Parts: sequence; C-alpha cells; structure tokens
Amino acid sequence: MISQLGGRSSSGRRLALAWQTVGYVLVAAIMLFPLFWMVASSFKTAQQLQALPPVWLPTQLDFSAYERAFSTVPFARSFLNSFVIAGGTTLGILVTSIMAGYVFAKLRFRGREVLFGLVLATMFLPPIVMLVPLFRIVQALGLTDTLAGVMLPNLANAFGIFLMRQFVAGIPDEVLESARIDGASEWTNLWRIVFPLLGPAIAALAVFAFTFHWNSFLWPLTVLQSPDSQTVVLALNRLVSYTSAIKFQNVVMAGAVISVLPNVILFLFLQRSFITGISQTGLKG
Amino acid sequence: MLSPGIGLLGVFVLLPILLTAWISLHSWSMYTPLSDMTFVGLENYRGLLADRTFMRSLTNTLLYSGLSIGLILPLAFLVGQFLYRSALRGKGALRAVVFLPYMIPTIAVAIIWGYLYAPLYGPLNQILGWFGLPPQAWLGSVNQAMFSLVIFNVWQTLGYYTILVLAGLTQIPTVYYEAAVIDGANGWQQVWRITLPLLRRTLLFVVIIAMINSVQVFDPVYVLTQGGPASATTVLSYQVYKNAFEFGLAGKASSMAFVLFLVLVVAVAAVIRLLRDPSGEP
Repeated sequence: MISQLGGRSSSGRRLALAWQTVGYVLVAAIMLFPLFWMVASSFKTAQQLQALPPVWLPTQLDFSAYERAFSTVPFARSFLNSFVIAGGTTLGILVTSIMAGYVFAKLRFRGREVLFGLVLATMFLPPIVMLVPLFRIVQALGLTDTLAGVMLPNLANAFGIFLMRQFVAGIPDEVLESARIDGASEWTNLWRIVFPLLGPAIAALAVFAFTFHWNSFLWPLTVLQSPDSQTVVLALNRLVSYTSAIKFQNVVMAGAVISVLPNVILFLFLQRSFITGISQTGLKG
Repeated sequence: MLSPGIGLLGVFVLLPILLTAWISLHSWSMYTPLSDMTFVGLENYRGLLADRTFMRSLTNTLLYSGLSIGLILPLAFLVGQFLYRSALRGKGALRAVVFLPYMIPTIAVAIIWGYLYAPLYGPLNQILGWFGLPPQAWLGSVNQAMFSLVIFNVWQTLGYYTILVLAGLTQIPTVYYEAAVIDGANGWQQVWRITLPLLRRTLLFVVIIAMINSVQVFDPVYVLTQGGPASATTVLSYQVYKNAFEFGLAGKASSMAFVLFLVLVVAVAAVIRLLRDPSGEP
C-alpha cells in the first residue's frame, strides 16, 4: 500500500511515512485544539483569561467556574429535561420505525412503493421550512412550553423507518412463513421473531437519535420558554447571553463542557456502532 | 402497524409543509387566530424581491453552502484516502478524533470557536502572530465573518463526511489497484482513473447531504453573530425565525421558508444532473 503513495525505494518509503506522520499529527491537532481550549479555559481564572498574550494552560484545577455555571442557569434541571426529551424521542422513533420498517420490508400491499417513496422524500426536509405551522399545531394542542410539545412532532422519522426496513429485509422470509403457518399474527411475528434480531440496528438508531435530539436547538428554542423547561443546549445559550464578558469565559466554557459530556461519553463507548451505522446507511438521526 | 409512523409523518411533516405553502400566500400575524388570515396571492414573494435583507440572506446562504461544500469535499476525500491507505498505526484513533466534533451540539461548537476567534484574547490570532501574520477581525469583520462560520462548520462536520468517503473507498475492489500497479500506473493515475470515477456515487451523496445541512444553517448565526456585522452573516433560516417569532409576520416568514425549500430542491436536482454518470447511472 505504501508503494502506491510514495516511491519504491526504502528511503522513499521512509519519506512517505514521515510525511504521513506529519499529516496525522496536524489533523489530530486541528481537530483536538478547540476541545482542548474549551476544557483548559473552563479552569482558568479571570486574571488568566484577561492576560496577554493568551495563557494556554491553567495553573490549577479550579472548579469554581462549574459551580458558577450551575448557579447562573438551572443546568441540573435542564439535564433532566434533555434526558426526557432525547430519551423519549428516541424510544418513540424506535417503536414507530421498527413497526413501519417491518411492514415495508415484509408485507405486500398496494401502493407500498409509492408510500415508501413518500416517506423517503420527507427525510431531507429542513425543519425550518415547517417551523411556523408546526409551532401553531403544537400551540393548538396546548403543548407550548412542554417537553411533550418538543417530542411529539419527532416521534417518527423517515431515516429510522428506512434503516429498519433495510435491516428487516435482511431477515429470511422462511422464518416468518413457518411462524405464520403455526398461526402467529404479524404482530407476534414482529415482536417475537424479528425484534430480537434487530439488536445492532436498534443500537445504531438509538445513539443517532439520542445525540441528534440532545443537540437540537431550533425546535426546543421555539417551543420552550420558561427557565424550568430548558434543555441543556438552551441553558448553554442562556448562559452565553448572561455572561459574555471575556472574564466569564471560564463559566461559559464550563457550561460547554457540561453540555458536551454525555455525547462524548456515549461516543467513546459506542464508537463502533456509530461509525458502522453511518458506513452502512450513510445517514444520521 | 404502519399507521403510527405514517400518521406522525403526515401530521408533522407533510401537513406543515403544505401549510407553509398556503400561509405564504396570506398576510397573517402569528399572534392572531388562523381566521384572521387574508389572502394576498404572491404579494409576499413580490415583497421579498424588494427586501434587501432577505436578498442578502439568500446570497449569504448560497455563499455559506458553496464554501462549505467546496472545502468539505476535497478535505473529506483527502482525510478518507489517508485513513484508508496510510500504513501508520493508530488510524482508528484518528478516525475517532476526526469524528468527535460531529457529536457535539452546534451551539457548543459555535461558542468555543467564538472564543478562539476573539481578536485580542483568542489563540488563533496569537498563532498567526507566530508566523508573522497580522491579527484578523474574524467574526467582527464584514468580509471575514461568513468565512469564519464556514471554517468551524467544516471542522465540525468533516468527520461525518470522511466516514462516508471511507465507506465508499472500502467498496472499491483492491484488484483494480493491483492491476494498475502491474500496468505501471503511479499514485496520481490510480486516484484519477480508479478512485474518483468509482467514488462518484459517494461523492454525489456527500455533496447532497452537505448541501441540505448547510442550506439550513441557523445555530451559529443565532448564538454568535445575530446576522451581523451589518447583515454580513444573515441567512435564510435566521430570517425565517426572526420574521416569524420576533416580528410575528407568519406570511412573510412562510414565503421565505418556501423559497429556502425551493432553493434546496433546485440545487439538489441540479447537482444530481451535473454529477450524474454519463452512462446514465444515477
């Protein structure tokens, strides 16, 4: 493989490896530097933040910025809200996607392909295009400023249906046929036979949906108003507007660390299921 | 079993998009009941043509999307190719590191980069100084603000597109390269003659997804620039949000949203047409 990149001689190979090492380090540094700056800044003191030239490393582990972040905005409460919203939405997406995916993959009926095409077409519609009517619908249902109002429009999604259909289609028909002959309903088939085989697909869809809805900003911003109903991302946004002066950078960065942490932890544990999920389907939550 | 999924998509995706089109033909304040809507035909759209802020947001959105895709496509290819081919150890770690920013809320990314860009206390100007380069105004400059937003968009999403490229690269049978080596093809020829043509579908997919994602950019504008300085970074989504929820102009906001939708449809269709394989394969 090396010979494809560099020369054929061993000195050429060594040169190629050296260049690759430089590239590796450069890319890693660029990707990690902003995250390093976030963490480092959250521990700096007000003096260090206002020093010139900028100080790169804090001298002590000062957690006071974290306390300050928690006392400025209701982070603890917003954490709970975000978990309810991201968790509830994910659960809803899983249930609706598995059921619809099963139908599209295994049951034959008139207009199936047209309907599936229609579902796929909704996959890439930017939420902003639907924002105004969606807000009025949620308002008409009396769900503004509620977590349910944030979750409800997102409980089904085309990507999830697509992903589950792909996975269910891979399950041999014979398995289902023999169960049908034994008198099993489609409902039993789905939950007794198909569902236990969907492990990897469920894991992939769950992490995607969870991070996507944990990170989401525009829709929660539109629906939620009162301080007690904020999500973590909304709380972070509020934190910035309260404390934008440079000497409070540590507080804002502490807030950023807090908001980032669950996803980073999730990613470190489930990295493989994430990346193979994208490779296989090419898509996101 | 189909009804929950289809029903929800119908009520919360299809119905709203039809309503957006319908509302865009009306004059209506967000704060009044639906019955107060008055039909005005294409008046809202005509108004948009004369609205300089809107026109600016339209060109800004196109600029943002164009620059983002223009940077993402070659970089994702380069990093993907590197991760696929390099003989270095620790490629898995690099793949994870490159992907990591994609996991983080865009609001957090925007905030972090806002501090990196800080003219006086930020590290970026300090680093420029090491190379003898003058400090830049970044987000504070009318000319640089948009590009500054593009940079961290690329930083955040590159990992995702790299994984797509990587998946595409692993689909190319290695025998092609082996045969090319026997025929004396060098590295560049292999990239031009084998990799790029066979990666066409993947790259088309990357462009389309990048387009869909960048055309609806909202978060960084809302949290960092509010469209400034001097509407240098105002974008369509931001104008839709502002008109609807700050000015209450639901009709106008809906016409803007529908323009955004049309821009996206036209752009996606154009890209599919342009990048389609001459042999007719999509």
